[in-house]
Amino acid sequence: MSAAAVTDATFKEEVIDSDVPVLVDFWAPWCGPCRMVAPVVEEISDQYEGQIKVVKINTDENPNVASQYGIRSIPTLMIFKGGQRVDMVVGAVPKTTLANTLEKYL
Amino acid sequence: MTHSANPQQATEKSLEAMRKFSETYAKRTDTYFCSDLGTTAVVIEGLAKHKDDYGSPLCPCRYYEDKEAEVAAAYWNCPCVPMRERKECHCMLFLTPDNPFAGDQQEISVEQIRTETNQY
Repeated sequence: MSAAAVTDATFKEEVIDSDVPVLVDFWAPWCGPCRMVAPVVEEISDQYEGQIKVVKINTDENPNVASQYGIRSIPTLMIFKGGQRVDMVVGAVPKTTLANTLEKYL
Repeated sequence: MTHSANPQQATEKSLEAMRKFSETYAKRTDTYFCSDLGTTAVVIEGLAKHKDDYGSPLCPCRYYEDKEAEVAAAYWNCPCVPMRERKECHCMLFLTPDNPFAGDQQEISVEQIRTETNQY
């Protein structure tokens, strides 16, 4: 299952109100490392299907959420559980790094 | 690609300017492009697009609440302060040889760039 796109308008419903932990990929067009991390995020989405939700948000088009969570470097991968931000990793990270971070919240 | 929002490409003039800059700066600082030149292509397109839109090649791998104010502040205009001071490019355009992602190239053609960015 591929990471669905969320927006400023759908962020609350899709992320904050989610019953399962959510991995959010904050990305932007023409960001090289975003392009590198996207397949990793897709693999994580497949590997943890049913346990977590994986979504992506374009920071250029959705500045409210990006500003609210203080996004600076992109890509930023943020983990939400019970409506709260619980962790994040910044930059193009290997799949194991992301998986190890996620495991703490399952 | 999984990320597709049909982003706009830069003008050819800015793309060429940023392509030349990237080659020259890599050679001058003994840094190399990513072993995956697609990553390099995307970043150069992003720098050129910011040059078109805001007058300066603001780093495309940051989120800014106000891009015009950031251009004026100059900190994240390429080459950014962390690159100039410590050779740190989180956009992975200029990589030191010890970086596991570094390739052996310091040149990239317009054709190589557009072959990649035309896919978006």
